[in-house]
Amino acid sequence: MERRGFLKGLAGACALTAVGAPTISLAENKKPKSPNAITYKKALEIITKGKGAKDSEKINLIVPEIAENGAVVPVKVTVDYPMDPNNYVKSIHVLATKNSNARCADVFLTPLNGKAYFATRIKLGGTQEVVAVAELGDGTFIKAQKSVKVTIGGCG
Amino acid sequence: MAKRKSLIKIKPKKYKVGDIVKVDFIVIHPMDTGMRKDKKTGKIIPAHYINDVQFFYNDQLITKMIVWESVSTNPYFSINMKITGPGKIKVVYKDNQGEVHEKTKKVKPKKG
Repeated sequence: MERRGFLKGLAGACALTAVGAPTISLAENKKPKSPNAITYKKALEIITKGKGAKDSEKINLIVPEIAENGAVVPVKVTVDYPMDPNNYVKSIHVLATKNSNARCADVFLTPLNGKAYFATRIKLGGTQEVVAVAELGDGTFIKAQKSVKVTIGGCG
Repeated sequence: MAKRKSLIKIKPKKYKVGDIVKVDFIVIHPMDTGMRKDKKTGKIIPAHYINDVQFFYNDQLITKMIVWESVSTNPYFSINMKITGPGKIKVVYKDNQGEVHEKTKKVKPKKG
């Protein structure tokens, strides 16, 4: 009888810690929400106005395969498309699929740029895919994506 | 209004009229996301990030950018530009706390 009682007590204690622990950690690590939180799907819908984007090889997206520091990830986008006054790349968008705010930068180009090119550095919260979306002169959207492995997160 | 250091670079250094050059713009800015805590006080650092960058060449708008907080601290933006003659490049940038700054650089194409 003694052993049974002891085991019961042990089980009870285990259950208590199991229930108690997560609530404590939640209260401590509750992350504040990003003021502009938006998911990747929704952001893509807003950018393409519901049309959706096709995968294309015309976009050349250069990102490192493995980023040691997620706070600084260089991103380079070039679009193989003419920049004539009437037919040019209207915009380039850089998105990160799992960041709380998926949008990173929206760039609106003009024919005076000469070439469709954009480079910047972004933060990535973890291993995820970086997506580049471009709007062409005829109103269609094309995209390219590459995954980046992040060893240390950059957000928070 | 805090003073901000910024830099405009034209690459390559020597260029002629008609060349397509790379224009780099770097600014010292914290780019706080509003999700990070101050380790000493435990309070959340309010969001403070650049949200609008505009590149002008001789007062003509070349490129407009909408920037979100996922861009790194001390952001760097690079675009291409076609040199049409002497003049100046002006970059105007705004952040979500109402700061507006601008930076100019002279354009001096080489003859020949």
